[in-house]
Amino acid sequence: MQWVVATAAFFASAVEFVEAFTIVLVVGVTVNWRSALLGALAAAATLALLVATLGTALVQWVPLDVLRTVIGTLLLLFGLKWLKNAIMRYAGLKAIHDEQAVYEETRAELRARGSADASSPRFDLFGFLLSYKSVLLEGLEVAFIVITFGVSAATSAASRSSGIASAALGALAAGLLVILVGALVRVPLSKVPENTLKFVVGILLTTFGTFWLAEGFNYEWPLSDAFLLILVAIYLAAAFLLIAWLKRTKKQQREQAAENQSAPATVQKQEVNP
Amino acid sequence: MKIIKTIYNFIVGDMVILIGIALTVLVLALINNVGALGPLRGLSGPVLIVGVLASLVATLSREAFSPDR
Repeated sequence: MQWVVATAAFFASAVEFVEAFTIVLVVGVTVNWRSALLGALAAAATLALLVATLGTALVQWVPLDVLRTVIGTLLLLFGLKWLKNAIMRYAGLKAIHDEQAVYEETRAELRARGSADASSPRFDLFGFLLSYKSVLLEGLEVAFIVITFGVSAATSAASRSSGIASAALGALAAGLLVILVGALVRVPLSKVPENTLKFVVGILLTTFGTFWLAEGFNYEWPLSDAFLLILVAIYLAAAFLLIAWLKRTKKQQREQAAENQSAPATVQKQEVNP
Repeated sequence: MKIIKTIYNFIVGDMVILIGIALTVLVLALINNVGALGPLRGLSGPVLIVGVLASLVATLSREAFSPDR
């Protein structure tokens, strides 16, 4: 079991499963649970198939250096996207993702469609497809992380297979936890600190992406794997500095806008009373 | 075209990050494959970290100073 890989996959998957769970919950409550659960299960099966086939193909056919270069680059792109969004949310440049709002919005849409007969056990194709689509789309990111983390965190074909299994177990644990908590509370999981999780995962993906991409170019990091901790510290420090800078910039922009608004009013007053 | 756009949005969705990382990878490839740049090989790690941070700063600056905001 590779714990670092499993933990990273757990956190990344938890965020995505929370988002998918919101839509499945709306479909369950508004359309019916049968269609919602069937859609979610079908999507989970599609994702498992994807990880099994793509993961195995990568492990067997692609040399490790090439894999690390390509996957390091993809992880960096993916990680920077998450990190950028999380930093913008902390700095107030972007709205915090609100599961309650997503829940209410989707529920209103379903009700407007006129299919709100939650008591009916009949299979509803629209509900099934909505549930399938949301779990598949959110789950694709999970599948991507499971494959990339699992394949890259290893040095041999055998440990690559074990890496995928560790990452898949981390993702499975996150999925089960979200389903368990969701089944108990039966409300959108709005209390989950999604932005914090996305921030942590963004830092992790960027760190591993940097580490593996450089290794793909045969670069040997000082202190070997322990340099991962230094990379985490560098990116954390940079992220906190950027958040502080963006907050200050936003404040200055707001003050300037307020000044600009008040300036014409003063000029107008002077024109009326010379 | 729609498929390419979907993949682009799924993986990155941000042109500044994409260009920044692509340029960094290009610089690393040059350092590691051009003989004259051989002495810089030991700096691949720091170059990569600087490239990643520069891409992040660039994309956030674009967002912060966008006229739409």
